[in-house]
Amino acid sequence: MIRRALPLLALIAVAPLLLGAAGDAVRVTPLARDGQVYVSFSLDGGLTPDMRETIRSGLQTSYGYDIELRRGVTIWFDRTLAATTVTATVQFDNLTRRHQLSRSIDGRVDAAEVTESDEEVGRWMTSFERLPLFSTADLEPNAEYYVRVRARTRPRSTWSLWPWGGGQWGHATFTFIP
Amino acid sequence: MATPLRAASSIRPAPPAPQPARPPRRPIRDNPRLLLAGIVVLVAAFVGLLALASRTTSFSPDFLTEVVLYALSVADLTMLVGLVFVLARNIIKLLVERRRALPFARFRAKLVAVLLGLTLIPSILVLLVGSELIRNSTDRWFNAPMDEVLSSANRIAADYYAERQRFVLAQAARIAKTLGDVDLQSANVPGLQDRLGPEVAEDRLKLVEVFRVTADAGPSRVAPILDVASPSLPPGALRASAERLASHVATGAGETWALEPMAIGGELLRGAAAVRAPDGRITGVVVASDYLTGELAARSRRMTAAYEDYRQLRVLKAPLFGVYVSFFLMVTLMILVGATWMGLYLAKRITRPVQLLAVAAREIGAGHLDHRVERETADEFGALVEAFNSMAEELATSRQDLERSAIDLERKHLEGEGRRRYIETILERIATGVISIDERGAISTVNDAAGRLLGVGAEAVGRQATEVFAREDLSPMSTLLRSAATGGEESPPQEIALTRDGRDVHLAAVATALTGDGGHVEGAVLVFDDVTPLIRSQKVAAWREVARRLAHEIKNPLTPIQLSAERLQRHFGTAPPPTRALVDECTTTIVNEVESLKGLVDEFSQFARMPSPKTVPTVLGALLDDTLALYDGLFAELRFERRFAADLPIVRVDPEQMRRVVINLVDNAVEAMERRGVITVETHHDPANHLARIIVADDGPGITTADREKLFMPYFSTKRRGSGLGLAIVRRIIAEHGGSIDVTDNAPRGTRFTIELPC
Repeated sequence: MIRRALPLLALIAVAPLLLGAAGDAVRVTPLARDGQVYVSFSLDGGLTPDMRETIRSGLQTSYGYDIELRRGVTIWFDRTLAATTVTATVQFDNLTRRHQLSRSIDGRVDAAEVTESDEEVGRWMTSFERLPLFSTADLEPNAEYYVRVRARTRPRSTWSLWPWGGGQWGHATFTFIP
Repeated sequence: MATPLRAASSIRPAPPAPQPARPPRRPIRDNPRLLLAGIVVLVAAFVGLLALASRTTSFSPDFLTEVVLYALSVADLTMLVGLVFVLARNIIKLLVERRRALPFARFRAKLVAVLLGLTLIPSILVLLVGSELIRNSTDRWFNAPMDEVLSSANRIAADYYAERQRFVLAQAARIAKTLGDVDLQSANVPGLQDRLGPEVAEDRLKLVEVFRVTADAGPSRVAPILDVASPSLPPGALRASAERLASHVATGAGETWALEPMAIGGELLRGAAAVRAPDGRITGVVVASDYLTGELAARSRRMTAAYEDYRQLRVLKAPLFGVYVSFFLMVTLMILVGATWMGLYLAKRITRPVQLLAVAAREIGAGHLDHRVERETADEFGALVEAFNSMAEELATSRQDLERSAIDLERKHLEGEGRRRYIETILERIATGVISIDERGAISTVNDAAGRLLGVGAEAVGRQATEVFAREDLSPMSTLLRSAATGGEESPPQEIALTRDGRDVHLAAVATALTGDGGHVEGAVLVFDDVTPLIRSQKVAAWREVARRLAHEIKNPLTPIQLSAERLQRHFGTAPPPTRALVDECTTTIVNEVESLKGLVDEFSQFARMPSPKTVPTVLGALLDDTLALYDGLFAELRFERRFAADLPIVRVDPEQMRRVVINLVDNAVEAMERRGVITVETHHDPANHLARIIVADDGPGITTADREKLFMPYFSTKRRGSGLGLAIVRRIIAEHGGSIDVTDNAPRGTRFTIELPC
C-alpha cells in the first residue's frame, strides 16, 4: 500500500515545481527605478491561432494578467507583497474590419485604441512595456524579489470537466537596489 | 453426620425490567416530510435545469461558456462528489456490517446495487448517445455551405462599407487638397461656403466640415470653421465625433475615418483628411461624411451579426458542447443520486422493520420483555410488528405470573430450608442416633449421634445400608431395617445390644418406613437411643436397694450372734480343756466372721447411703499431690510419676470424695501390679470441651476386654478378697460430680483410667 502511494505522494510534492517549470510562457522583466517597480512582460508566441480566430469571430476577447510582487520565504509559502491585474481587451468589428482595443489596470481604463492591424492587436494584447505597477517604498534594499505573472484568456475555446485552473505563467527575479 | 440438603428450586428471579426505551429518532432519510422535501428539491432542480436548457439559445455564447458552464460544472462535480460519498459510505458500511455479520447487510447491498445498476446503465447510455448526438449536431452546424453563405454576406457588407469608406476618404482628401491655398487661420474665410456648396449639392457627400488647426484651441487642437450639410441628411449628426476625428488627423496621424450611428437610424461614415499649406504644414482638417441609410446599415449589421454569431459558435463549439454535455451529465447524476437514494430508502424501508424485529427478538430473548417495536407503517410489516408486540405483551404477562410463582416457590423453599436446618440442627445436637435410608437402600443421612453410637463415619453416606450393617456388631440393625423395609406397621422400640470396642452398648431402636403419597415405600428412618447408662443406673439402683436390704437384714442378727458366741466362750471358760479349746476355736471363728460380715455390711451401707458431694473450688494438682503423698515410702519397688498440667483451672469437687476416688484407683493398681512398676498420674485441660482430665495409668497386667465393662458394676471384682464395690463407688462419685470415668488399655501395657470433670 505504502509502496503504491509513494509515487503519487512524490508527484504531488513536485507538482508545483513541474507546473512552474512548464508554465514559463510569459516573459517578465522587472525594473526598480525612481521609486517604482516597472514591469515589462510579454506572452511568448503572441496571439495563438485560436485566439485570433476568437477575435475574428467578433467576441470581446481579453487577456488578463495577474501580476504579483513576491518575496521568497524559506521553508514556507512565498509572501505576496503587492498584486495587480492588467487586462487587455479587443473587439473586432467584422463590418468595418477594425479592432477596438483597450487596456485597464485593476479595472481602471488606462488606454484605448482603434486599429485595423492584426500585428498591432497582437502587440496590444500580449506585450506590455514598463508598466509602473508597484511602489518600492516597502521594499527592503538589497533583497531579492520576484514578479510572477499569470495570463488568462477569456473566453476560453476549450472545455474540460474541470474548468478551473489553467493559464500561462512567468516570473523574473530582481534585487532591489535603491 | 448429616449431609447437606440441596436447594429445592433453581429458579432465579428475573433481572429487573428495563425502563421502556424511547423510540429512536428516525434518520433523515426515513422522515417522510424531509423525503418529500428532497424529492421536491430534486424535481425543482430538474425543472430549473429544463428551463435553463430551453433558454440557452437566448444566452450569449460568452455567458453560456463563462457562467453557465462553470455553474453546471460546479453542480455536476458537487453531485458527483455527493454520489461518490454516498456510495463509498454505503460500501464501507456494507463491509463493516458484513464483518459484523449484521442481518440484511447483503440484501440491502444487493438491492441498492440492482437499483443503481438498473439506472446507471441506461443513464450512461443516454449520456453517451446524447453526447454523440450533440457532437454530431454541432458539427453539422458548421457545414461548408453555411460558412460560405455567411462569409460571403459579411464580405459583401464589409466591402460595401470599405468602398464607402474609401470614397469618403478620397473626397475628404480631394477637398482638403483644394483648400491648401486657403488661409484657414483667419477668422472669416470668404468664399469657403461657395467652394464647398457644390460638394453637397451634387449629393456626393452629405456633410462637409472644415476645422482649422490652432495652438490655442485646447486639447482638441482644432476649431470648427464651417460645415455644409446636404438637405437630405437627417438631423442628429454630432459635431463632437467629427471634431475628435479632426483632432486625431491634426496630430499628423494621416487619414482616418469613423462610423457614427445616427439617432434616427443609419450611420454616418466620416472620413478626415488634413489640409496642408504649400509648405506642408497642416493648417486644417476636412471631415467628409456620407450617410448610410438605416435600412442599409441595419441589413449590413444583421449580416455581420449573423456571420459573427456563426463564427462565435464555431469558436465556442467545444465549451458549448461542454454546456450541453454538462446538462446531460447533470440529469444523469440526478437520476443516479435519486436512484441511489431511492434504493437506500427502499432497502431501509424493507429491512428496517425486520431488523427492528430481529433486535427486539434478541432483547426479549435477553429477558427485556418490555421492549417493543415502534409501528412505522400500516402495511404488512406494520401488522407483523403489531403481532410481535402482542406476543411480547403475552410473554411479559406470562413472565410476571412465572415470577410470582417463583417468588412463592422461593418463599416455600426458604421455609422448607429453614425447617430442614432446624431439623438438621436438632439431629446434630440430640443424643439420639438417626439414620435415613432411601428407597434403593442406600444410607442418605447419618447424624453425629448415630455415627458415634454405631462407629460409622461420613463415608457410610451413599453406601448400601446392608453393606454398612453387615459388620458383625451391627448385624442387629440389619434385622431391624429389613423389618422396616417390608413397609409394615411401625414396630415397637427394640433393645439391641451391640459390642463396640469391647463394651456392651445397649440401644433402644425403632425403624420406621417412609411411605410416599401412594403408599410406596420411599425409604426408612432408623432411630436409636443409647440406653446403656440408663440400664447401668437401673442396675446400680437395684444393687443399692439390695445392699440397703442386705445391710438392714444382715446387720441386725450379727450383734446377737457375736454376743452369743462371746457368751458361749465365757460359759465354757471353766470347761475341760479339750471342750474349752473347741469352744474357743468355734466362738473365735464366729466372732471373726461376724466382724468380717460387719465390715461387709458397712461397705454395703456406705454404697447404699453415699452422701451428695459438697463441692468446693479445688486445685486438682495439689489435691492429687497430697493424696499421692500417702504412698510415699510404702512400696520400695513402686514409683509414682506426676504429670500435672500447668494451665489446669480450679475445679469444683468434693475433696474427700475425690481423694477416695484416687486412693481407690491407686490401691487397685498397686494390687494389680503386685507392688512393682510405675503408676502415672496426669492432669489435662480440654478448654474446647470445658473438661479437666485426670488419668491414672499403670504398667500392670491390664484388664481383659470382657472384664472391662463389668469393672464398674457392683460386686464385680477380680480380686480374691474384694467386695466389688470400690469401682462402683468411684463411678458413682464421678457421676455425682457430673463427670465420667472410662478405662482403656495403657500403652505399652497396663490399664489407663480417665476421669473427665467439668470445669
